[in-house]
Amino acid sequence: MSILLLGVNHRTAPLEVRERFAVADPVPALAKLMDRDDVEESVLLSTCNRVELVVHVREPDAARPRLLEFFLQELWDGASPPSDGKVGSWIYEYVDSEAIRHVFRVAASIDSMVVGEPQILGQVKEAHRKAFECGASGPVLDRLYHHAFSAAKRVRTETQMAERPVSVARVAVDLALQIFERVEDKSALLVGAGEMTEMALAALQRKGLAHVRVANRTLERARELAPKFGATAHSLDELPQLMAETDLLLTSVAGDATLLTKEAFHTALRGRPRRPIFAIDLGVPRNISPAVNELDEVYLYDVDDLEQAAAANAALRHEEVERAENIVLEERQRFLAWRGGRKAIPTIVELRERAETIRLAELESTLPKLGLDPNQAQAVESLTRAIVNKLLHAPLSRLRTEADGDDGPRTLAAARTLFDLDAESKAESKDEKEDS
Amino acid sequence: MRQKLPNKWNACATGKRSVLHELTEGFYLAAGLAAWIAIALPAPRLSRLALVLLGVGALAHTASLATLHQIEPVPSLTHLPAALSVSALTGVIFFFVLLMMRVRIAGFVSLVAPIAYLSVFIADVRLTPPAPRNAILEVGSWPHAHVLLSSGGLALLGFAGMAGVLFLAEHRRLKAKRSAPGRFPLPSLEALDRANIVALAAGLPLLTLGVVTGVLWVDDATGQYWRGSAHEIWMIAAWVIYAALAGARFGGGQAGRSAALSAVIGFAFLFLALVGVEVGS
Repeated sequence: MSILLLGVNHRTAPLEVRERFAVADPVPALAKLMDRDDVEESVLLSTCNRVELVVHVREPDAARPRLLEFFLQELWDGASPPSDGKVGSWIYEYVDSEAIRHVFRVAASIDSMVVGEPQILGQVKEAHRKAFECGASGPVLDRLYHHAFSAAKRVRTETQMAERPVSVARVAVDLALQIFERVEDKSALLVGAGEMTEMALAALQRKGLAHVRVANRTLERARELAPKFGATAHSLDELPQLMAETDLLLTSVAGDATLLTKEAFHTALRGRPRRPIFAIDLGVPRNISPAVNELDEVYLYDVDDLEQAAAANAALRHEEVERAENIVLEERQRFLAWRGGRKAIPTIVELRERAETIRLAELESTLPKLGLDPNQAQAVESLTRAIVNKLLHAPLSRLRTEADGDDGPRTLAAARTLFDLDAESKAESKDEKEDS
Repeated sequence: MRQKLPNKWNACATGKRSVLHELTEGFYLAAGLAAWIAIALPAPRLSRLALVLLGVGALAHTASLATLHQIEPVPSLTHLPAALSVSALTGVIFFFVLLMMRVRIAGFVSLVAPIAYLSVFIADVRLTPPAPRNAILEVGSWPHAHVLLSSGGLALLGFAGMAGVLFLAEHRRLKAKRSAPGRFPLPSLEALDRANIVALAAGLPLLTLGVVTGVLWVDDATGQYWRGSAHEIWMIAAWVIYAALAGARFGGGQAGRSAALSAVIGFAFLFLALVGVEVGS
């Protein structure tokens, strides 16, 4: 029994390939997969950055080529599957402990395009939920994903990997919340238009920012942009009045001249005592004079400042990856120990039964000869039970922990030989044959 | 150090207070440790536990101070360690009031809890110190009113000063465009400014009433309103400074960095006037 993982992701395949493998609903593919004899359990994860199939199989070597064929035939959205040469570079395969590690790394967002991004955990949970509901995920994969969620949670709480924002828009929101207690009651002004300013404004709106105004060189352009943010449209001529009512200012105006000087801010601040302004200048060349940052009540950040903050945060996240990897390895060890225990269960049960049979047989033959009263007989009974338990404790523990390792089959075989378990079962089957 | 009490009731009340006092110390210490470990690890759950421990500590502290009135004679609050203990409790309660006002200053627990612990620890070590040579008689209820009001004012203005220090540090960092240290973000500048203004608005009236009750106490005990002692001179000077700061803040529209700086300077002077002069005398 092994776990196999096949997949394509943002590192191995371009978007035009990933979107051909992507599935909106994994259930039909899982149903087809579960009809196959060689698959015990399966989970299919499909996001914009990755499509991964995780299966629990009896014979991994035999199942691998058949699952690759399934991946290409059933998931590929196209008339004919791609040629072998390309497939080799797109699709990756992991077997057992490496597959387990990969599942945990994905759930913990270590393998994400933006390390530490939080969405992937929800997507993994959703993939497992769908597999569970259609009966494709069973005891082994359920436990695997339970450990994956646990690893993700630990990475989130025990490391700073997901703490710091790494996009310019998120850095802007983060800074706004270091200046303002909340943004719901603040007023924002977008001057000009640009992809980054719009993303930053959208991120602020997701945090609750409600009052937005848009100003542009031409009122028509402002009117075009305003509905996108539920904003009112204004021309640049209105800037002095607008600034007096603005807490968050985002600028991205094309042109050479500095649009807003220190004096303009000074005038605006006079009309709004006790309230600071957070100004984000994403214009290149800059729209706001750097001297504005000398004013106590204005916090001015330009595109370089935000990108440097994002890069510094990304570097900090990568420093945390090593700690996250250790957590993943710990969780994998726990899963392997659990699975090892499962593999060793038949041998453990037989060994216990054999020991118990011997103990009871010896007691039955010896106790009548000793002529003990009930209390003494009970004491001897307890004594023998304790001896057997203590003798078996060490070998059973070793079996549980080592059954899933590379030497697991050999260890189990050695135990069966030493305690003569197979001879007994052979004898039993011989008796059954004779009886029949 | 503690007074020997004449009957069983007093012994019981003192014993109860002693246990409560030790519990207070324990909870404040645990809250401080939990808050700092939460920052170091980092562990968000531990920081929430720190808040709970501080709250339980405040309850034990309140009960500890309340049991003082079961002891005959009621122990004096007019010496510095006891006043610091009252200040600590006022500061902790004010912290929770701000949290209830939805001011995001939960990160303050790492400062509030250790300061509260130290104040209570000092009060425990020196519950009933010998009276200073030039002490005035404790007559009527003015002494306790003076201590309670002044201690409350000291706590709240101390809180404003603490918020001011953090504001200045955060302002400097944001202006220099440096990343926030650690995992738990400090309170926002707006939250710190709000804590500052609420503390000043509540602390200055308490300090004013403290000064007034102090004058009335001196009059009751000595027959004159003004003795010209160092304590009186420095306290009046501190009050005048705070009145000027409040005027600038509420009348002159002072805010942000300048208001934070004022709160720090004001509290430094008040602390010097109250604790420095008291210790020096």
